[in-house]
Amino acid sequence: MKRSSFFITTTLFIAVLAMSSCSGRPKSVPTAFTDVTDSAMIFPDYRDVTIPPNIAPMNIKVSDDGATEFVVEIGSLVAGATADGKTDIDSTAWRQLLEQNKGKDIAVHVYAHRPAGWVRFLPYTLHVAEEPIDGFLSYRLIEPGYELYRQLGLYQRNLSNFDEAVIYENNRSFSDKDNHCVNCHNFQNYSTDRMLFHVRAAHGGTVIIEGNEAHKIAIKHDSIIAAGVYPSWHPTQALVAFSTNSTGQVFHMFHKEKIEVLDMASDLLLYDVEKNSVRHILRSSDALETFPCWAPDGSRLYYCSARCNEARADSLILRTVAKYDSLLYDIYSIPFDAATRTFGEPRLEVDASASGHSTSVPRISPDGKYLLYTQGDYGQFHIWHHSADLWVKRLANSDSYPLTAANSAEAESFHSWSSNGRWIAFASRRLDAAYSRVFIAYFDRDGRAHKAFLLPQRDPDFNTMLLKSFNVPELTKDAVKISTEKLNHIVYDTEAELASYEE
Amino acid sequence: MKQVPFINSHYRTFAYALLFALAWTWASWWMGDIYRITYENSYLAADSTLMHFLWQQSFGSLWIAGRALLLLYRWPLLGGLAVALLLTAATWLVGYCLRLRPRWRWLSLLPAGAWMAWVAWTGLNLYYESEPGRTLGILLLGVLVCAIDAFIIWTFKSRSANHKHHSGAPATVGTWVSTVATLVVCFGVPVAITHVRHPYARPLTHMQVQMLNEDWEGMSQTARDHASLSYRPLAAYYAIALVHTGRLADDLFDIRLDFDSLHVVNYSGEPDVGSNYYIIDCNYAAGLFRSAEHKAVERMTMEGPSLATLKHLTRLALLDHNWPLARKYLSILGRAPFEGAFIERYSAMLDSPERVAADPEFALLRQTEPVMDNFESYFEQPVFLGYNCVLMAGRSATALQHSLLANLYSKRMPAFLERCQALMGSTPQKTIAEGLVTQVKKNPAIVQAFPQLQMTAQMYTGFLRNVATEMKDRPRYARQLFDSYKGYYPYYYFFGNLKATRKSDKKEHASSNAGVN
Repeated sequence: MKRSSFFITTTLFIAVLAMSSCSGRPKSVPTAFTDVTDSAMIFPDYRDVTIPPNIAPMNIKVSDDGATEFVVEIGSLVAGATADGKTDIDSTAWRQLLEQNKGKDIAVHVYAHRPAGWVRFLPYTLHVAEEPIDGFLSYRLIEPGYELYRQLGLYQRNLSNFDEAVIYENNRSFSDKDNHCVNCHNFQNYSTDRMLFHVRAAHGGTVIIEGNEAHKIAIKHDSIIAAGVYPSWHPTQALVAFSTNSTGQVFHMFHKEKIEVLDMASDLLLYDVEKNSVRHILRSSDALETFPCWAPDGSRLYYCSARCNEARADSLILRTVAKYDSLLYDIYSIPFDAATRTFGEPRLEVDASASGHSTSVPRISPDGKYLLYTQGDYGQFHIWHHSADLWVKRLANSDSYPLTAANSAEAESFHSWSSNGRWIAFASRRLDAAYSRVFIAYFDRDGRAHKAFLLPQRDPDFNTMLLKSFNVPELTKDAVKISTEKLNHIVYDTEAELASYEE
Repeated sequence: MKQVPFINSHYRTFAYALLFALAWTWASWWMGDIYRITYENSYLAADSTLMHFLWQQSFGSLWIAGRALLLLYRWPLLGGLAVALLLTAATWLVGYCLRLRPRWRWLSLLPAGAWMAWVAWTGLNLYYESEPGRTLGILLLGVLVCAIDAFIIWTFKSRSANHKHHSGAPATVGTWVSTVATLVVCFGVPVAITHVRHPYARPLTHMQVQMLNEDWEGMSQTARDHASLSYRPLAAYYAIALVHTGRLADDLFDIRLDFDSLHVVNYSGEPDVGSNYYIIDCNYAAGLFRSAEHKAVERMTMEGPSLATLKHLTRLALLDHNWPLARKYLSILGRAPFEGAFIERYSAMLDSPERVAADPEFALLRQTEPVMDNFESYFEQPVFLGYNCVLMAGRSATALQHSLLANLYSKRMPAFLERCQALMGSTPQKTIAEGLVTQVKKNPAIVQAFPQLQMTAQMYTGFLRNVATEMKDRPRYARQLFDSYKGYYPYYYFFGNLKATRKSDKKEHASSNAGVN
């Protein structure tokens, strides 16, 4: 009897605890309130942004000293928040709201319950675009730790809700035998039918994925600087353009930037997936070529290149590091004949060095009209440079300009177009200059980017609490098909097949 | 009927009380500072995003439970109380489960003793490049397993009339002898392990606790109290204390700087020199804020967030006037219990460069912040003061003094003399004067540049005369001479830090004593 009483008491205690933790949130708009002339303090800043009609609920956190309750009225939808100020918007109601308001503005009113009563802040709007964004966003999550790594992985987020799937994660605990890094995930033409990523250190190689199958290859040859680095799948062929880079990083002692990531040498490679062979596209000792990117029709390859007049020598590293801020990259393109698989002569596309600037990560819009790139003061690893901003060039008339509304005072880089060309997703360190986060901006038919918004999360505090950076956000139309278990098997249990080198 | 002595009839009460008292003493006094610093190297919050790094690991939930218990070590007496209760409970449960006859009751003490011995053997690896919740997590698991076992036995016992036990039998003298002997072994072995294998662990962590309390005088006194111990982390934290007390030039060579090996292992379980133990604190204290941040982020990458790392990153973000980043780290610290005082102090500096500038610690450390940019990899070893070995421009006299002392410490005499030019015409401080006289034979011009060195030079001559014999076999006599010459730079120059000197001699400075550490 005594024992059964103990269990009953314990169960009841736990139940009471569980119930008490489910405190109620206001469910209706206050009937009496005072209008104030301030804007509500909200995070993330979703004021007056253009959003896709298929985006996940855009939860916010409202801050107001002394307020005990909040109500956020988004069109016909009412979301309440207790003293923590965080909304948890009903996803079904949110989807209906966006569907009903495609191409329209939704007014958002924020109410706070202060000791003197309810107040209503100045409203803002969410403009719902007609065009959806691709359904999935892939990224790497990694600490902005500079040399070491432990647990990291590639993940895929369903943009219409908060589901995040693991594509691949490395070893979760430190292990000399298994430690490896993964990077540079890349997809062919917004589809996950063909994709790849690199594995560095233990179990190294490049994992090539075709549908539900995968294998690991190694690019290694005396005439190749290093393994393949920045990839770009040809839009239709089983070909991948890689840069091959000898990369190092150095740490500032007293500078506005923290880190410089530098290439001592780099070339461009073409990898044939079916033949498992590789050859040089560009190989030069007086230029550093990197960041290849195919045009949507596959007829040209865009890339960045910096003049490097120093002859390769033992002291090249020291000379390159010493001149880190004078390395300026321009964007070139080179024609490609898919039938003969031959390249033509390079053409200068963006002459940033002429104005004392440097470019990186060229990406062509799906309609082939715009070249989106990052421009900074120098170098090519712009995600560590405050000066890095997104720029576009209209390929029709060579007009280049910054995407001012989408940019910030901090670094923006590693951008990706949506398959309909109306959205760009990119990494930005604008929240705190340290941790990169994914921002999404509408790109209108006039070639202007709108104010960017932070990738929505169920908990608005997620971005504050997350001690990892989002790397290389890539939009795709579909989810990755291959299972994590299969990729684990490929990485851990198979040897990389060495790609043959073609002269 | 023979009367059973009270102490025998209440054997269990007395034995457990004795065990509890000893365990509390060991866990709070002997191990208190060590676990207090383990607590600083841990982090626990009720937030799935923040704890993901730990939760997803094998045994992650166990380590989280261990970290939860570790929270009590915010106050070592309380943490020690919890550990003592668990050790006592474990012993009782083992005794209950095994139903030992009186003569074998001492066996129930062995699991607790084994755990304590393991903790002692682990030393600084309780937290250094390893999971801080591990030892307490395993203790909790052990107690839980015993409790479940006891519960099953209890349930079984109530349904079985045949269950027989001996726990109520009175003890004998023999029982007491075996119990006390076991207690002596169980507590003596861990204490001896700590004392012999990790003699640096208690003074080092005590200094770190004093550092948390900003008791800089206390820190340097602790180091001097253990001056004959020679381990890099002790020297590093001693130097930090001297930076804060402004006595670097007076007291730097008051402790042995020969650097015996630590018994620590790295993430891979390989023996390690332990430089990562102090590198963040040292870089920070040397005004090398970017390098401190670099190393702090690296540590967070490898170990997940810890209170120590987050506090460093908060201060560094404030020094960088990066308010959003400081706010982020303060928010994360705010999710951990008991850090209100730190949050209150540093939250007040948000958005206020004036308050950052007015903070006494920040103001002190800013004095040695570099004035020119360079890349970290261009700076030289040793990691702490050595960064300033190559300092050719500073923002204060303190920066010059640190550079001079770094070169004296590293025995880079040409670089030391080069920087001494800035002191010409003034009376150099004692240690710097002692460094200068060691170079007079090679550079007679020093005497003209610093005519005040006459007395110091005479002392130096006397020193050379006194140690002429020992000079022929310096490694042999170094330790013996330390007590007589501690704090005297020429002693350090010839007899100090010889292991590192020999190693670097072969590499790059065959004709000098340069390149220590």
